[in-house]
Amino acid sequence: MKNRALCAAAAGTAAALVLSGCTGSSEADTAGDGVVDVWVAFTDDARLGFVEEKAEEFEAAHEGVTVEVQGFDDYETLFQQMQLALDGGDAPEIVHYFEAATREALDAVGPDGEPVFQSVAAATDGREEILGEPVVLDDVVAPAKNYYSVDGEFYSMPWNTSSTIMYGNETLMADAGVDEIPETWQELEDACEKISKLDDGPEACITWPNHSWWMEQAMGQADTDLGNNDNGRSGRATEVELDSDAMVDYLTWWQDLEQDGHYLYTGVQRDWDGTRAAFSAQEVAFLMSSSGDAAAIDDESTDGGYEVVAGRMPYDADTPYGGNLIGGATLWLRSGLDENTTDASLAFLNFFNNPENAAEWHKVSGYVPITDSAVDLLTDEGWFEENPNFKVASDQLDLAADSPASTGVLMGNFVAIRDVVTAAAEDILVGGDDVTERLGAADEEAQQLLDDYELLYSGE
Amino acid sequence: MLLILTVLATALVAVVASRGRLHPLVGGAVGLAGALATSWFFAGCALGGDVIGENTGVQRVLAVAAVLTVGAGLARTVAAVRAGGGTAGDGLLTELRSGMFRTRSWLPWLLLAPTLLVLAVFLYHPAFQTFALSTKLARMGAPRSADVCLSNFAELLVPSPYLVAGLPLAAVALVAGLTLWRARTTAGTGSHTVAAALAPLGPIAVVVALYFVFAPGRTGYRGVYVATVGISLGIVALSMAAGLALAYLVARRFRGASVYRTLLIWPYAVSPPVAGILFFMMFDPTAGVMAHLADVVGLDFPSYRSDGVLAQAAIVLAASWKWVGHNILFYVAALQTVPREIIEAAAIDGAGQWRRFARIVVPSIAPVTFFLLVTNLTYAFFDVYGTIDYLTRGGPSGQTTVAIYEIIRVGVGTGDLGRGAAQSAILFIAVIGLTVWQFRRSEGRITYGGGA
Repeated sequence: MKNRALCAAAAGTAAALVLSGCTGSSEADTAGDGVVDVWVAFTDDARLGFVEEKAEEFEAAHEGVTVEVQGFDDYETLFQQMQLALDGGDAPEIVHYFEAATREALDAVGPDGEPVFQSVAAATDGREEILGEPVVLDDVVAPAKNYYSVDGEFYSMPWNTSSTIMYGNETLMADAGVDEIPETWQELEDACEKISKLDDGPEACITWPNHSWWMEQAMGQADTDLGNNDNGRSGRATEVELDSDAMVDYLTWWQDLEQDGHYLYTGVQRDWDGTRAAFSAQEVAFLMSSSGDAAAIDDESTDGGYEVVAGRMPYDADTPYGGNLIGGATLWLRSGLDENTTDASLAFLNFFNNPENAAEWHKVSGYVPITDSAVDLLTDEGWFEENPNFKVASDQLDLAADSPASTGVLMGNFVAIRDVVTAAAEDILVGGDDVTERLGAADEEAQQLLDDYELLYSGE
Repeated sequence: MLLILTVLATALVAVVASRGRLHPLVGGAVGLAGALATSWFFAGCALGGDVIGENTGVQRVLAVAAVLTVGAGLARTVAAVRAGGGTAGDGLLTELRSGMFRTRSWLPWLLLAPTLLVLAVFLYHPAFQTFALSTKLARMGAPRSADVCLSNFAELLVPSPYLVAGLPLAAVALVAGLTLWRARTTAGTGSHTVAAALAPLGPIAVVVALYFVFAPGRTGYRGVYVATVGISLGIVALSMAAGLALAYLVARRFRGASVYRTLLIWPYAVSPPVAGILFFMMFDPTAGVMAHLADVVGLDFPSYRSDGVLAQAAIVLAASWKWVGHNILFYVAALQTVPREIIEAAAIDGAGQWRRFARIVVPSIAPVTFFLLVTNLTYAFFDVYGTIDYLTRGGPSGQTTVAIYEIIRVGVGTGDLGRGAAQSAILFIAVIGLTVWQFRRSEGRITYGGGA
C-alpha cells in the first residue's frame, strides 16, 4: 500500500511538472518600453541594410526609442514566424507582408480573438505629425493606396511597391532590327520573329518567372476580375474565377510563345533568379520581371557589356486595356499596443516613407517612389531623365483605370491559390495540357481552398 | 457509422488478441490503445461532418475516458499476471521473476518513467495530435477549425471517398485476420487448409487497394505517389548498389586505403540542401559545368528542369551521392567481418571473383544490407526535401514532388495543417507498412552470424 502511494505521488509530481510548463500564460509585448520591433522579409545587404540604416537614423533623432530590425528569408517564413510569435506573446510591432496576404492580414486574429493588425489611418487619427515626423499617408501614390484600402479604410503603410515591366537587351534588339521595346503581344511576337532569325542569336526571345503575379497582371490588363464582389473590394470574395476567357487567352498566348520556341521556361516555378540569370547571360533578349529589379539589372548589364531598355508589360492589342496593378509588400501595424509604442511605430513608418527616404529607396532598388512628393523630388533632381528605366513602372501604374480589376484582387487563402495557378501554368507549358481543361481543374481546386478559408475565417 | 465499425473492429481485434494464447498485456494494450486512438481522432466524425467552431469538451471527455480505460485495462492485466491466471500469465510471471526486480514490479516502471514521460510528451503526443489534425480543416492562425472527418484522406484517395478510405483498412484487416487464423489453427486440420487457401486474398486486397491509389486517369495526389515510389526506389537502389561496390573496392588492402575511404565518406557530411545546390551548379542547363563540357564536345545538353524523367534522375543522383558515404561506412565495416577462411577455401575450390562475391560476401553481410535497406528507405522518404527544393522545387509539373515535399508545401508553406497532417499520416502508415513487410520478408533469410 505504501509503495503504491509513493508511486502515485511520484507520477503526480511528474505530471504537475509537465503541465506547469504548458500553462505559463503568454503576455503580449505591450509594455511601453519604447522598443519598436520591425520584421522584414529581406535578408540581402542592400534591402535589409537600408532598413537597418533608416532604423539607426530614426533612433538618433528620437531619444528613448529603439527600433529593432529583423530579416527573414521570405514572406512565407515571416508569416509563419508571426503566427508563432503571436501565440508566444512576443510579436513585433511592424510586420512586412506581401500584397497577396492582405486579406489574410485583415482576417488575422491573435490568441485572444482580437484582430492582430490595426489600420494605420485610424491609428493616425487625422494627425499631421507624429513625434515630429510629418504624416505621409495622404501623399502615397494612388495605386498603392487603393490596393491597401479596404472599405475606404487605408490599412497598412505601403513600402516596396512594384509593377511588372519588361527589360530589353538593346544590343540584341539593335542587331535584330527591333527599334522600339514592344508594347503589345503582337509587337512582341514580331520582335521575337526577328530575334529568332539572328545568326548566333540568343537561345530564346523572352523569359519571365512562372509566378501567379503575371496572370493577375494579365487580368488587370484585360479588365477581368479574379474574384466576385468586385474582386473582393465591395465585399468578401467567395467565388474565384481562374477559367475566364481572358485567362484562357493569356495562357494560350503564353503556351504558343513557348511552343514557337520564343519563350524560355526555366522549369522551376516562381524562378526569379533563374530567369534573370538567363537575361544577364544574354540567352534571351527580353525579360519580364519586377520593377524592383531595375537597379540590379542595370548593374548586371554594365558588367555584361550590353544596354538595357525598360518598357511596359506587353498587353493584348485586341482587348481594351484595363491597367496594370501593383505588387510588392506593405508594412502592417500591430494592434493592442499602448499609446507610446503606437506613436513610436507610426512615427517610424512615416519617417521611413518621407520624401528623401522614399526617393533613396527607389534609387537603391527600383521599386516605385511611394509618395507623390518623392516623385517630385526625383523629377526635380533630374533622376528620371538620367534613368528612364526607373520611370516605367510608375508611368504604367498611372495608366490604370481605377477599376477593381486593375486595383487587384483581395481574396482569402490567396497565397495557396497562387500555387494552384502556377502549377496549372507549368502543366500547360511543360506538359502541353489543354488550356481550358487545365484551368477548369485549377479553378475547382482554388475554389475549394477559398471555401475552406471562408469557412474558417468568416464562418460561412 | 464508420466510428461504430472502427470501434467494433478494434474490440474484435482486442478480444481475439487477448484470448489466452497471446500475451494478455499485449492484447489489452493493443486493443485499448486502438480504442484510444479511435476515440481521439474520430471524435470529429461522431459529431457529424461539418461542425464548425471550437472543439467542444466532447473530444476531451472521450480522450480522458480512453486514457482511463487503458489504465484500467493495464491494471487488470497486471492483476491477472500477479494472480498467475492462464498459461501466458504464468509465462510472464516467470519471466518477470527471473529478472532483477523480483518483488517490486513497479520499480522498473518508476525508473523508466522519465524516459517514458519524455517519449510521451515529445513523441506520442505530437503523433496523436497529427492524427487528430488530419480529420480537421485547420489552418495556421485561423480562429476556428472544422471537423471534416475523413475527407482529407478521401481527397488523397479518390475516386469514392468512403470506398477508398475504407479499402486500405479492409485490406489490412483482412491480411491480419487471415494471418491470425492461420497461426491459430494447427497444421493438418480442415480449417487450416481453408485458411491457407484463403491466404492469397490478403495480398489481392492490398493490390486492389493500391490500384485505386495509383490508378491512372486521375489528377491530384496520384502524381505524388508515383513520384515518391519512383524516386525513393531509385535512391535506395542506386545508393546501396554504389555503396556496396565502392566499399568492396576500398575494403581491400592497398596503400592509402584509409585516405580513399575518408574521401568517399565525405559527401555524407554534406547536408541535403547543399547536395541540391552542388548538382544544381553542375547540371544547370545554361551556366552549369556539365552544359559547358557538353558544349566543348559539341553536344546539346538537355535541361533536366523541363524534362520529368531527367529531373527525377537528377534528384536520384544527387540524393544518392549525398547518402552513399553512409552506406560505404557500414559496408566497409561489414566486409571486414566476412571470414577470410571461407573466401580462401572457395578460391582454392575454384570459385571465381564474382562467384565468391555473390555467393559468400553478399550473404554474409545480409544483416547490414537489411539494416541499410531500412535506413535508406527512411532517408529516401524523409530527408530529400532540401535536395529537391534546391534542384527542382518539385517540378517540372510536379514530377519530382515526393510525399515529404508535398507535405511541407501544403502543411507548412500554405499553412493547411489538416491536409498536411493527413498526408503525413499516409506517409507514416506507408513507411511503417514497408518496414514491417521488410522484417517479415527477411525473417529466416538473414543469418546474423555469431553464436546463433
